[in-house]
Amino acid sequence: MSLVNFTAREITCKIVYYGPGRSGKTTNLQYVYGRVPESRRGRMVSLATQTDRTLFFDFLPLELGEISGFTTKFQLYTVPGQNYYNATRKLVLQGADGVVFVADSQARRFDDNMESLQNLQDNLLAQGVDVRQLPVVFQYNKQDLPNDLILSRDEMDDALNFRAVLSFGADALHGTGVFETLRGISEIVLKRLATGSAVA
Amino acid sequence: MRALEPWVIDPLQTFLDESSARLTLLMTSSGQVVAQHGFSRSLDVMTAAALGAGIVASTDELARLMGATRFGALVHHGVRQSCMLSAFGTPRGRWIGLVVFGPETSVGIVQLFFDQMVEQLVTIAPREQAPAPVLAENFEGELNASLKALFGRQ
Repeated sequence: MSLVNFTAREITCKIVYYGPGRSGKTTNLQYVYGRVPESRRGRMVSLATQTDRTLFFDFLPLELGEISGFTTKFQLYTVPGQNYYNATRKLVLQGADGVVFVADSQARRFDDNMESLQNLQDNLLAQGVDVRQLPVVFQYNKQDLPNDLILSRDEMDDALNFRAVLSFGADALHGTGVFETLRGISEIVLKRLATGSAVA
Repeated sequence: MRALEPWVIDPLQTFLDESSARLTLLMTSSGQVVAQHGFSRSLDVMTAAALGAGIVASTDELARLMGATRFGALVHHGVRQSCMLSAFGTPRGRWIGLVVFGPETSVGIVQLFFDQMVEQLVTIAPREQAPAPVLAENFEGELNASLKALFGRQ
């Protein structure tokens, strides 16, 4: 849950990038890290295996600036996508204020996307969180690949986005859609907070 | 020292004075910082909190798998400084303390005064819920301006 500090007038929100292995979650954070001014970000921490697959999580703190007199900070996390690491995915998901589901647009990864989305719902439910109440946006990554290898944004929406929430096409490696996605989830999380429905 | 709410300051200050700890961080179980002493950069504080919360959460899970109760505290001994992580219940939920200390004190002293601080925090913690945030009417305009400044694109 968001932490609102009335004394120091600070808001801190936790956003988790979720999705199947190799869908581009870490790439999203790396792109953000490379583009945000140093004064607005902390160091990026990656707890990864020797082959650079996420083992526990990646973490990137960002300072958004002042909104309504509150210094607003975001904590961006990724989860390890591989099936094997579900226990750590559950831990990282604790206390999330919003989720970016990073799906792999390649047609051959269709089942992996579905499995990961189901896993997200199961893990949230195990923590007593109704996925319908949590801010979620979809990012369909790798839309830059040849058309015969991928599903279009509309096809991805039809397959995954049952609740018609915000969705974005992306090429995270080159940055397309990365900030749009982050902006989208940030807006939803903060607007929800403004209504007073998500205070710890 | 920075603290989320004023009632945390006295117990924390007493702990710092008695234990001679160098750095101390109090956080929620999901890694949100509640109070801190000694860290210089707020964004680094968040990183330390995220890592500390991750360690405690994974240790709790290990304990659960082994059929044990939660471990009381974790201590990493270093040559120049050591680190203690300990989770505890409060009326405001489960919190975690991360304490960095040097050879001028000992893990026993740190643990002793940490436990005393926890007792004090539990005793004096206000029971009522935090008030809902009241954000200004122009919240959305400021949000959009901040997002634009940080992310650069509309």
